[in-house]
Amino acid sequence: MASSAVRAQVAAKWQESFNRLNRNEPGISGLLAFSEAWTLATEFLRPRDLNDPTPRKQYDLNQVRVAFGVIGECRRLPVMMEVFLEDMRKSQHLITREVEVHMALYESNSDPESIRTLVYRLVEWYDTWKPTTDLGSTIISAYTLAFQTHLFSVLPPSFARGIKALISATLERIICQSQDPQDRVLWQAFDTLSLIDRYETLIASIGYEIIESHVKETCAGKWAEPMLGTLRTWMIDKIVPWMLYPFARGATNADEAKTMMQGVGSRFDFHMHKTLCTLRTNEMFDIIVDFPDSTGALQDLKECLARVDQRADLVHALRRAINKRLLHPGADTKDILTQYVSTIKCLRIVDPPGVLLFKVADPIRRYLRDRPDTIRCIVASLVGDGESEDSLVDENEPIQPLQQPEMENYSDPDWNPEPIDAGPDFRASKSSDIISTIVSIYDTKDLFVKELQVLLAQRLLAVKDGNIDRERRNVEILKIRFGEAALQVCEVMLRDMTDSRRIDQHVQSQKASQMHPTIISRHFWPALESSDMVMPGQFQILQEQYAKEFSVFKPDKVLRWLPHLGRVHLQLELDDRTLEADVPPLEAAFIELFSENDIWTVDELVLRVGSVTRTAAIKALATWVDMHVLKEDSEGVFRLLNVAEGPTPESRPQILKPVAGELPPVMSVQQQQAEQMKIYWKFIEGMLTNLGSLPLDRIQTMLKFAPGYDRTVEQLGGFMEAARREGLVSVKDGMWRLGK
Amino acid sequence: MDQITSSLVPPRSSQKVTVPGSAPDGPGSVTKRLTNELMTLMMSSSPGISAFPKSDANLFEWVGTIEGPAETIYAGLSFRIAISFPSNYPYSPPTIKFDTPCYHPNVDIVGGAICLDILQDKWSAVYSVQTVLLSLQSLLGEPNNASPLNGDAAGLWNQPEVFKIQLMKHYRPLEASA
Repeated sequence: MASSAVRAQVAAKWQESFNRLNRNEPGISGLLAFSEAWTLATEFLRPRDLNDPTPRKQYDLNQVRVAFGVIGECRRLPVMMEVFLEDMRKSQHLITREVEVHMALYESNSDPESIRTLVYRLVEWYDTWKPTTDLGSTIISAYTLAFQTHLFSVLPPSFARGIKALISATLERIICQSQDPQDRVLWQAFDTLSLIDRYETLIASIGYEIIESHVKETCAGKWAEPMLGTLRTWMIDKIVPWMLYPFARGATNADEAKTMMQGVGSRFDFHMHKTLCTLRTNEMFDIIVDFPDSTGALQDLKECLARVDQRADLVHALRRAINKRLLHPGADTKDILTQYVSTIKCLRIVDPPGVLLFKVADPIRRYLRDRPDTIRCIVASLVGDGESEDSLVDENEPIQPLQQPEMENYSDPDWNPEPIDAGPDFRASKSSDIISTIVSIYDTKDLFVKELQVLLAQRLLAVKDGNIDRERRNVEILKIRFGEAALQVCEVMLRDMTDSRRIDQHVQSQKASQMHPTIISRHFWPALESSDMVMPGQFQILQEQYAKEFSVFKPDKVLRWLPHLGRVHLQLELDDRTLEADVPPLEAAFIELFSENDIWTVDELVLRVGSVTRTAAIKALATWVDMHVLKEDSEGVFRLLNVAEGPTPESRPQILKPVAGELPPVMSVQQQQAEQMKIYWKFIEGMLTNLGSLPLDRIQTMLKFAPGYDRTVEQLGGFMEAARREGLVSVKDGMWRLGK
Repeated sequence: MDQITSSLVPPRSSQKVTVPGSAPDGPGSVTKRLTNELMTLMMSSSPGISAFPKSDANLFEWVGTIEGPAETIYAGLSFRIAISFPSNYPYSPPTIKFDTPCYHPNVDIVGGAICLDILQDKWSAVYSVQTVLLSLQSLLGEPNNASPLNGDAAGLWNQPEVFKIQLMKHYRPLEASA
């Protein structure tokens, strides 16, 4: 049996509870009042089925309030809330059904409007079940939590898709300037159901997507104007008003809204920059092609790169594009150079310190270095051959001396450290001079100077009227760039030209001659193709006479003829006609021989003029055949047509081509180098004979005994490899030796 | 005060110690001369003679190769020689020795020393490596039996068959490496 102590305790508890409920009312009237209040309150709160057609019972709100007061007084509110939540749980199937019905509809027609209906309907349920605000925020929030927990647990995954479509539609309406007052209601509904918090990332992703597609739509391929300004205005006009709904709800004034939107706003802004940056990065190659019409895009890119760290991507993408589209055998060297120059100019805009340029330019420079005609191309554009319109050199750019890479001046107050992504071999090029940059592709400018000499020689020898002002001007310009000393040889060449005329005038005054030679100093001119051609007949006599006069005038000098160079103006007197022709010397020599004899074979002709190749001879004869002066009777036998013959059926009428004004054959730098290599070969032969077998680097160091040796080990390796193919040397374990 | 100023003055005596060498020109001109000779030798393409500096560090030590002249007993054989230039070259002759043992009246078979007048008292500054090498080549075919370094060889010179046997006994073909 329970002890008296237990009994006393139970009795005390009972009394206490009773007192609480009875609230010191007389008898049990307090208890009764509480019971009534409880019944009323729970009845009032019980969740109702919206679909129940029976009209809702009307309550006297004052009575309800009093009832709640009674319950509150008895401190039974928590219990009542539990009862209420329990009731709610029992009614949850109603909401589940509602959601299922609408989502099934949405899944069948994919119309976001069904989602909208669902959302409104859910709000209706929520409002209906909501306890009165009098019960205090604790109860309301407990209710909201319970409601949402259940709601979210029953929403199917397709709801996210639906709500995304719905929200996108609101944003699109804002962009199209057709504000729908419905939207505000919709957003409020979202807020009521706490959908905004739940789907915040989704809402943000809608923003990102819209920004991305807008940037791509409006900016792709439009490079003339900077787009960033327009894009920013668009963001302010279109995105910000939309952002107010989800991200600044509950803001009372503009400042508050601003603070609330700061985080997401800067993310959107960043995304806009990033999208534009990626777009421009992918378009970079074409932007460079379009330069300078694409300056706007470059300015945008510069601003974006400052915001978004995508410099590495830019370098990567551009290098890939250049490798794929530019650095292949199909591209003209001139085009590569032009693109390179544009790249320089473009990247200088984007990144003034030049780190990007350095990284991008490296493969181009290496590729150009390997192209045989790069120097020629550069030199041609340096002197501006006048034909090409888009010269590499900007005419307006002041001509300035080549800049050598200088040591950094740390005492410079404007000194800045190298940018953070500069590689260890990065050299800041402060110069804005394009030519210096191009010339620096090669380690030395000597190559250029040599190629310049060749080019100048070709052009001087091609001058027919003796007017060399243009060349003189070019040389003067180049002097500014390369320095006086480097162009001394060119200076001598120019002087040779003027001296030639003076000497010629003098010789002519002593004894008039048909001949006007150009007298050049062998030592200063690039090697000219030599020939053992001997001019026959009157040409020979002319040469001898001239040489005699010359030796009187300049006794310390000897004329060595290069009879295969130059032009001869001829007048041919045939039996029935007279012809004038301006031809190369070999043609003249042949026709001279025909004045001795009417019929010649090719071999006889070749024999008379010394060594010319058969091909050259036939080409020369063809010139006369074309002019209907000679006729090839049978193969290799030519006859002079003293009397013109009508076109025979087999001889097709030919258009008289002016004899091609080819450039005089000056040995190119490459040929000269091959010539030099012969000397070095003697040295290699010498060392291998006496020292046995040697490794390549030893040969390289030993070659320093050879005067003027300046090849790299790689070049030497290539040369040795070529010698090996010819069977001159053999290699075993990296040791080279003579013979097989 | 005195001490301070004196310590500021650099010591004078030590600098002018270098006395010009016996050669009237500095070593630079010898180098230049040798470089020129090398160039001439390389470009001359004289058959059967050749020489080249042993290493790129020292232009004064050369290695040479002489092929026995045709129609002599040395035909078809190659001899390696060491050439050492004095610092006052070309005022003194280079020292030349056979590295390949050479059985020859005027060559020491053991040390490789050569008895040739132009390498001793008849030396003149107008001679060059090339002329010396050519002289050596012709010496192979035409020994000076009057002043032999190798008496046996001088004695056997007139018996070509016996001489050849002796020659081949001592001769070592050139190895590939120096």
